[in-house]
Amino acid sequence: MSLVKLSKVTKTFGTVVVLQEVDLSIEAGEVVVLVGPSGSGKSTLLRCINALEPINGGDLIVDNISVRAGRSQIRAIRQEAGMVFQQFNLFPQMTALQNVAFGPRHVRGAGKAEALAQAQALLAKVGLAERGHHYPSELSGGQQQRVAIARALAVKPKLMLFDEPTSALDPELRHEVLQVMKSLAEEGMTMIVVTHEMAFAREVGTRLIFMEDGKISVDGDPASLLSNPDNQRLREFLQHVH
Amino acid sequence: MEFDWSVIVDATPALLGGARLTVLITLVGLAGGLAVGFVAGLMRAYGGRFLSALAFTYIELIRGTPIVVQVMFIYFALPVLADIRVNPMTAAMTAIIVNAGAYIAEIVRGSFLSVHKGLKEAGLAMGLPMWKVLLYIIGPVAFRRMIPPLGNQFIVSLKDTSLFIVIGVGELTRQGQEIMAANFRAVEIWTAVAILYLLMTGTLTLILRITEKRMRML
Repeated sequence: MSLVKLSKVTKTFGTVVVLQEVDLSIEAGEVVVLVGPSGSGKSTLLRCINALEPINGGDLIVDNISVRAGRSQIRAIRQEAGMVFQQFNLFPQMTALQNVAFGPRHVRGAGKAEALAQAQALLAKVGLAERGHHYPSELSGGQQQRVAIARALAVKPKLMLFDEPTSALDPELRHEVLQVMKSLAEEGMTMIVVTHEMAFAREVGTRLIFMEDGKISVDGDPASLLSNPDNQRLREFLQHVH
Repeated sequence: MEFDWSVIVDATPALLGGARLTVLITLVGLAGGLAVGFVAGLMRAYGGRFLSALAFTYIELIRGTPIVVQVMFIYFALPVLADIRVNPMTAAMTAIIVNAGAYIAEIVRGSFLSVHKGLKEAGLAMGLPMWKVLLYIIGPVAFRRMIPPLGNQFIVSLKDTSLFIVIGVGELTRQGQEIMAANFRAVEIWTAVAILYLLMTGTLTLILRITEKRMRML
């Protein structure tokens, strides 16, 4: 049974078709790297999985629940599909620790002490055990993004969605975020990552998907695709990214 | 002319009594206005088409008419229209609630909508219902942004109570007017009245500044 299954998913913004009858199945444990030129629909695809964008056609099933099933079902999907954003989007009025403890308390109904202890453990896991009492504005971009990853993990999702998690970071800060993502993949977390980090795709990804014009045009093993891209557009794209 | 301090001394008890009513009308009016403003503002920002249109109509109706007309309507027209008879104090408080509520609604709407939409998405993305996103995530950020414009509105509403002289509420301006009519000491009385208003608005400003300082702006 696939963890995520898209059947002829179509998404439009006004008259612009962003996703065109996309079919895709993702199994538990896969690390899918989504690449493609801007406007190709990769971020939208990710946001549709979390139901942040409603789909216009077809069906999208996450953990046996359809994104079309209604509000409470959508909330259930979102609890199983953690999301990490390009701009981190940490809650600015809360410390790092409170950010991470927030989900368990308000989504999973955990007690305060339990949520805080769990948050502290997650911060330690992303290498920020000492930073729990800092506000987001007091942290570097890389640290903020690691807190954001911990915050998403705290809800105990089955699947993690990363929307260009390193695009807003300086090159030297990217590494620390990618390192956290790598160890997460090594623990067997199912991940879908929209990124331009080809080294990450090669090293960590188990599957590479290249999108263009709202469709999946290449889907395969990252290592072989990156060393020997047989698709003309993918080849051109990789030349621009490297 | 000579400034006669004894006039002020004699007038002080009556003026303070008026100031007390002014404070009472303002406090009740603003407490109610905040409640009405939050509801109407959130209806405007997040309600569906119907709720939003309803709040919009209320806001436009109130912002488009003078507060003197509103209080006259409540005090003189409502009894005729709906057989609702209210005393001047109730009419005055209601007028501030209704009037300030409309302006506060726009402040609330603006502040909530000015919060970066990524925060809303981050909240929704972890599976929170919208009301929790508004209450715990967007609300606290928006509230800090509301303080300066709310301060404006509080001061305006406090001073607007002086217009209730038209329905005979014994607030500060009315007290000044009555004393003046008896002793014709315009300079002393209106100086004292002005200073009392300054003290009240000054206190409000001080409270708001302390509140603002205690919060980190986000």
